[in-house]
Amino acid sequence: MTDSAELRKRFETARDEGLKIIGSADDLDALEEARVKIMGRKAPLSQARASLGKLPEEERRALGRLANEVYNALESAFESKRERFAGAATEQRWETERIDVTLPGLNLPAGAIHPLTKTIWQIVDVFIGLGYRVADGPEVEETRYLFDALNMPQHHPARSPLDTFFIEGGGDEVVVRTETSAVQIRTMESQDPPVYVVIPGRVYRRDAEDATHTSGFTQIEGLAVDEGITMADLKGTLEVFAQEIFGKGLEVRFRPSFFPFTEPSAEMDVQCFVCRGSGCRVCKGEGWIEVLGCGLVDPFLLEWVNYDPERYSGFAFGMGVERIAALANGVTDIRQFFTNDLRFLSQIGSRS
Amino acid sequence: MRVSLKWLKELVDVDVSAERLAHLLSMSGTKVEQILRPARGIEDVVVAEVLDISPHPNADNLTLVDVKVNGEGSQRVVCGARNFSIGDRVPLALVGARLPEMVITERKIRGEVSRGMLCSGAELGVSKDHSGILVLPQEAPLGEAVTSVLGLEDAILELEITPNRGDCAGMIGVAREVAALLNSELRIPEVVLESSEDLASDVSVVIEDAEACPRYYARYLDGLSVGPSPIWMQARLVAAGLRPISNIVDATNYVLLETGHPLHAFDASKIAEHKIVVRRARRGERFTTLDGTARDLHPDDLLIADPGKPVAIAGVMGGADSEVSGDTTTVILEAAYFDPGVTALSARRHLLRTEASARFERGTDPEVLPYAAARACSFMLESAGGRVAAEVADAYPVEIRRPTILLRPARTDALLGIETPPEKQVEYLRSIGLDANSNDEGIVVEVPSFRPDLTREVDLVEEVGRLAGYDRLPSTLPSGRLGGLDPAQRADRALRRSFAILGVHEAWTSSFMSGRDLDLLGLGPGHPNRRAIAVANPMSEEEAFLRTTLLPGLLKSAAHNFAHEGDGVALFEIARVYEPSGELMPREADILAALFAGLWVRKGWVEPEVRWDFFSAKGVLEAVFERLGVPAPTFAEARGLPFHPTRAATVALGDTTLGAFGELHPDVCNRFDVPEGAVAFELAIAPILAALPETAPASELPRFPAVYIDLAVIVDEGVAASKLLAAVRELGAPEVRSVRLFDLYRGDQIPEGKKSLAFALEIRDPDRTLKEQEALVVRDRIARGLERDLNAQLRA
Repeated sequence: MTDSAELRKRFETARDEGLKIIGSADDLDALEEARVKIMGRKAPLSQARASLGKLPEEERRALGRLANEVYNALESAFESKRERFAGAATEQRWETERIDVTLPGLNLPAGAIHPLTKTIWQIVDVFIGLGYRVADGPEVEETRYLFDALNMPQHHPARSPLDTFFIEGGGDEVVVRTETSAVQIRTMESQDPPVYVVIPGRVYRRDAEDATHTSGFTQIEGLAVDEGITMADLKGTLEVFAQEIFGKGLEVRFRPSFFPFTEPSAEMDVQCFVCRGSGCRVCKGEGWIEVLGCGLVDPFLLEWVNYDPERYSGFAFGMGVERIAALANGVTDIRQFFTNDLRFLSQIGSRS
Repeated sequence: MRVSLKWLKELVDVDVSAERLAHLLSMSGTKVEQILRPARGIEDVVVAEVLDISPHPNADNLTLVDVKVNGEGSQRVVCGARNFSIGDRVPLALVGARLPEMVITERKIRGEVSRGMLCSGAELGVSKDHSGILVLPQEAPLGEAVTSVLGLEDAILELEITPNRGDCAGMIGVAREVAALLNSELRIPEVVLESSEDLASDVSVVIEDAEACPRYYARYLDGLSVGPSPIWMQARLVAAGLRPISNIVDATNYVLLETGHPLHAFDASKIAEHKIVVRRARRGERFTTLDGTARDLHPDDLLIADPGKPVAIAGVMGGADSEVSGDTTTVILEAAYFDPGVTALSARRHLLRTEASARFERGTDPEVLPYAAARACSFMLESAGGRVAAEVADAYPVEIRRPTILLRPARTDALLGIETPPEKQVEYLRSIGLDANSNDEGIVVEVPSFRPDLTREVDLVEEVGRLAGYDRLPSTLPSGRLGGLDPAQRADRALRRSFAILGVHEAWTSSFMSGRDLDLLGLGPGHPNRRAIAVANPMSEEEAFLRTTLLPGLLKSAAHNFAHEGDGVALFEIARVYEPSGELMPREADILAALFAGLWVRKGWVEPEVRWDFFSAKGVLEAVFERLGVPAPTFAEARGLPFHPTRAATVALGDTTLGAFGELHPDVCNRFDVPEGAVAFELAIAPILAALPETAPASELPRFPAVYIDLAVIVDEGVAASKLLAAVRELGAPEVRSVRLFDLYRGDQIPEGKKSLAFALEIRDPDRTLKEQEALVVRDRIARGLERDLNAQLRA
């Protein structure tokens, strides 16, 4: 046997033996051991490679190729097995790290915006979209703003201490406001037309407490004064409001009514959003729900603030926030709004 | 106002259903609250004749009554009343009959079979009278349904009359509206009154205050015999909600319902000299009204008096002494016009809202007085006999004139937003009885006496608008302007949202408080919250003051929750407080308050239980400020109720004190029934809003890394953390960019009376990377400074 034939044999043996050893390695450690054994410096393959140098040029080249093939074959067998083992090990790690994803998360207690605030925001936002700003005024108010300027006759019930809270030291000149309307006057007094404002705020009346009355409650008032404002503008504006707050597709109707500070005056009913007009418990069988009072600003008010009623006209409207919030949330007793029971607030308060 | 459809149909043709009419009235400004049908629920109750009355063998208080319904035979019923006699016609509920509250069956009563039941007025729903059987008129046909005899087969429209429409507080006024709505004719009943020229009326009237009483009209009747009024009249009064009293009083009330104008009948024998004086009350004068109440009169009360004494509070209520009684034979019938305001104020002063005052208050028709009086007289003569003097007393010093108004049709269109042809406008105005005629300038409208509410052009615009109907108006939108919230309003929303996000619920509590609330907070007499505005007329002690603090409201809300299965409460409220300003108007300010009590985080499978305490609550407040972009609030120890003596602070923003923050005093917690350890704060909002950041360009992010170094020092217990932090920042400037306290330690290795605080320092140069050595130099500089200024000792 020539050296070359013998060396070829050694390479082939190293390959066969090597593949066998790799094949029989059954974990990552055994595989590492096998690697040293078959590809290490003292491995038969390495020794056979070292012997290549002694061969003549031509044979050396041929056997060199074989040596590389053997080396690559072993290397790739080793790599593929190592990858298999490594994959299994990773897989095993994932197994041990498994969690129950259905367990509840960390408890971060949430609060809520009060339903009355939420309702005010909803209403205010509709009017902001229509080009209004928000105005505010004192809660203890001068009667000349609250009554005189609003065209309330001297014998109007609201002027009486039966209906309205007076304060010590205020005489007949100052009362706790019964409605937000005085802010209409204050706003007009402080600026020239055009005026587009909504006025949310607390108001107070000497009403005996029951499911629909509390001595303090909340109103939103609206006022638009400009050239050429009409009853049709009032109608269009409040229809938009009703759609946004009570839902699209509900009819509204305007019934003539009376308020000292508007002329003509009307009350707006919205088709019952529960029964859509057929009559139910919420609308007391009427099919309609009374939502607010409104009308064109009485020229008396315009003259009071030195606006020219021949040039400017306006409309105003006012509604009870508790009533709207109660209707929208199915609340039957408005006192719940002031009890602040967290179970109630969490249910119908706003999270945003 | 309750309107009988049957009655209405006597005054105007109604060719639509009650429901349709109700809709038309509602949509033209007279809202129909509901439609009642009194006959509904009454079946098989018929007119029967009493044939015999005999005692019940087993019961003294019962009788056996034989009645017949038609020609043949009779039937026996057991009855408890004795107010009728043989031959009377009475309502008999047959076996099987239905009444509003019962079904009649054949049954034995104390051993005697009763086949049916005789009915009282109350059982039929026509009166409140339970005391006896309702005796029917003799002409009631036997066997006829009682519902038809009594006119119960009717629809009653319950109207809500607005304060401006006194005219609709009477049937004729309502009929006038209906005539306009249905385009039919109004029929005002004619008065047929045979007055006696030979009966002298010596009634005289003196009006001392013609502004309060512009007109007083009176008639004199004699020879009257007081008794019940006709059943049809009683039925109408009952249907309208009034109680039948006698033929005289009922006649006045009937005419009140018909014309909307109140009348009053005085027993003439009780009026001295038959002289009526209309005057204001005298100081100290007392008067007993016919409800039996003795009243102290006010000098503003307008009285009807005779020369010696008051006999009525004008337009409100008559007196007990001069009211018509069973013995009355002569009557002075008052038909007067009183000023709406004077009547309203008297009624309110004496808490007496009567059918009369409610009408005078809305404004009545001064020209209807003769008609109303004559109408009432004719009813009185019809049912009480007697005579009425032809001579009348009519004091009417200055005629009340209604205005003539020019309506520009274009003005109507400009206000309503729709065109209504001038002829059409004239038509609408005429339909409600106004005298309207076009000329070159517009429509000239003579306002009739029954519409005192129409005084200006705009009032006529409304009449046209409401009669034409608002449903025909187009829906348009005005141009609007630039809408939006101002920065403070936006911040208010951000503030509320921040609390909600951080787990705090928004509360709304009452704006009132009681002195007791402040007692419970333990506030002494000199405490600023005691300087409160007192309500002059509170509903209760609980609402005696306008509040100066939101804490009682929050504490009560918290207590409610703890009493209802709650184990943790975090509430905030933004609302107004009020205090005397020394001026007419109080000072008002918006306040932010919050309360934290009990559990914050319930124990979970992963998280431990966390209770609200000073620092968790402080963290919430700091986070809220950070979200708003305002500087962090500073805390300085402070002492004062309602807070824990050593766990409370004043909170400031820069140099401005915002308010107080602290754990509540355990006694306060106990008094309000919330767990001890509750934390609360109350801060002024205005300075917070004033500190809102202006929008500024973003600052550049650092380009070179920072060195992070810890610094731990031991200081005396008395050194406040804030002081130490401030010193670290000052000494570390400019390289130290942030300081975070990450440890507070007492115990092993720390001497008694000392504490160790450890800070993480971020040290950075904007223009280069600092070497660790350079950072250490900064730290040493800080440590030396702390040692010098605060006697701090660097901890190894």
